[in-house]
Amino acid sequence: MSTASAEVRESGTALQPSRALPDPAVTPPGAVIDVPVKKNDKRSDAPTSPLQRGRRKLFVPFVGPAFFLYAVAIVAPTLFTVVLSFSKWAGSGPIEWVGFDNYKRLWYDDVFASSFGNTLLILFGVGFGTFLLSFFFTTVLREMAGRKFVRAVIFFPNAVSALAISILWGFLFQADGLINKVMGALGLDAPPRWLADDNLFYVICIGLIWINTGFYTTILMAAVDRIPITLYEAADLEGANAWQKFRHVTLPMMWDAVAVSATLWVISAIKIFEFIYVFAGAAGSTPTTKAWTLSLYAYAEAFQPTGVARFGASAAATVVTLVLIVLLIVLTRRVTRRESLEF
Amino acid sequence: MANPALPRPVLTPAPRRKFQRPRVRHVVYTFVWAMVAFDLLVLVWMALSSFKTAREIFAAPFGLPESWQLENWARAWEVGDFGPAILRTLLVVAATAIGTVAIAAPAAYALSRFGARSASGLTSFMAMGLGIPIQAIMLPLFVAMSQIGLVNSLGGLILVYIATSVPFAVFFLTAFFRSLSAELEEAAALDGATPWRTFWQIMLPLARSGIVTLVILNVIGHWSEGMLAMIFLQDPQQQTLSLALLGFMSRVQFSGADWGGLFAAIGLVVLPLLLVYIWLGRRIIEGMTLGSGK
Repeated sequence: MSTASAEVRESGTALQPSRALPDPAVTPPGAVIDVPVKKNDKRSDAPTSPLQRGRRKLFVPFVGPAFFLYAVAIVAPTLFTVVLSFSKWAGSGPIEWVGFDNYKRLWYDDVFASSFGNTLLILFGVGFGTFLLSFFFTTVLREMAGRKFVRAVIFFPNAVSALAISILWGFLFQADGLINKVMGALGLDAPPRWLADDNLFYVICIGLIWINTGFYTTILMAAVDRIPITLYEAADLEGANAWQKFRHVTLPMMWDAVAVSATLWVISAIKIFEFIYVFAGAAGSTPTTKAWTLSLYAYAEAFQPTGVARFGASAAATVVTLVLIVLLIVLTRRVTRRESLEF
Repeated sequence: MANPALPRPVLTPAPRRKFQRPRVRHVVYTFVWAMVAFDLLVLVWMALSSFKTAREIFAAPFGLPESWQLENWARAWEVGDFGPAILRTLLVVAATAIGTVAIAAPAAYALSRFGARSASGLTSFMAMGLGIPIQAIMLPLFVAMSQIGLVNSLGGLILVYIATSVPFAVFFLTAFFRSLSAELEEAAALDGATPWRTFWQIMLPLARSGIVTLVILNVIGHWSEGMLAMIFLQDPQQQTLSLALLGFMSRVQFSGADWGGLFAAIGLVVLPLLLVYIWLGRRIIEGMTLGSGK
């Protein structure tokens, strides 16, 4: 395998000159010269070359399986969930149409309200903390020795299972756990009861900030690394301080990466499930409802170990989630849109 | 190793200039290193605790174990049923990765290279899948799969994993194929190679590095995936690694505090990931953050 690709690579460099036009000298007389076509030409309706005809024949077999699976396992279930949200159904038997009843019930459901609030808290609170810290880290890491090492270490929690990280995080905050030990050593007695129902979610939020800071710092750092150093030199000559350099050089120059990160955050924040499920759910049971988010709500309503599955409520909560995702993505793109800078 | 899709970020050497005020720099650097130290200490603490008795874990969190409790690991392995769970997980993870590449690579190649008129529309359609959360598909998928007997079967879980991996895989590989130069394809066409042969013998080997990165991300993501596994494998006889860990955790919480065993169980899940990360860290980081720089 490796030798084959090495050969290919070598022959690739050898063939480079032939890109512009096939050399007539080496082309046997009478051979069909397949001139490299421009991208636009390929779009023509009638394929002329054997290459294009062959490709046209292969297009459906190549693309088909992926789109079939996607349509059957992702798109159709999503649409069906939307239908379910307007109906009453127990998993089998006839589907009973109930209009907006499921949504009305959500409206009066306190658990749904707090799940919705918690999701917003993750989206905006954890998001704010994560991006603030990430901005800070990129600014510092830009000119710090050992930056590669720092990046590798703070990224690590993202590469480890959320399950395991969540159990460790919970252990740190136990009554006689490490956090309280350290606080006691610093003279801070009477620490809060971290894992009480009321505080639980905030401890989860801090954990999420901890994990995600490593991820977004890495993304932003890749953009910051591309900023020409001359800009910082110019700023230094003008006597700019660290904040001014961030505000007028770093931030505008990495704006595209910030925009992508924000979209990425919206999508991934709404999907967060395992970290909360394991952290808040003692002994494999569903966590306290005070720590629920929309994804936990949808899961618990459908797959509750005890009680009746309420597919309609679960589906309605999911539709609310989907609407929230779409709204936030549109909003994020609008807020972060601007002319791209060339440098 | 050449890796065309992943941009080399560093064009100019990073500046190592000082902050103007040394004291500010001090505070700021301390904060950064404190976070690094915290991450490392959590790892060390996990490793040490997995060799301690429950009492010792709380009494001396950072001391070396008085006597190394190797039986913690043995107990976790036995009681938690980790042996079969790891075998099952290896099977699931391998089949998922192979299936995902087999389905996504041809699609990504055709979308990025054939110049079909519908390609950009189809690509955007597929990209929508990146934003669809699991809860949007779990109910209908669960009902449909239980009707054809694919719940509580590893095959069913593999199928679900492949389906949920395809949007990202296509998105990732499309960007990768697009970055490869067209010269070789054209040369192959000049030599009379069929498009299929061009794909199989030239483009696929060229894209190897992107495919390997995708496989690594896919394997890491599914090694301890929890949500889909909880939904589609409810039979304890079929549990994968994440479910074994969850099961062990609840058993520990019910039946006395075997915290040493719990830490060993976490170690069984985390250790392979840690080794892979030390080995392939740069590639994992670049892969997981790819596409964001553009």
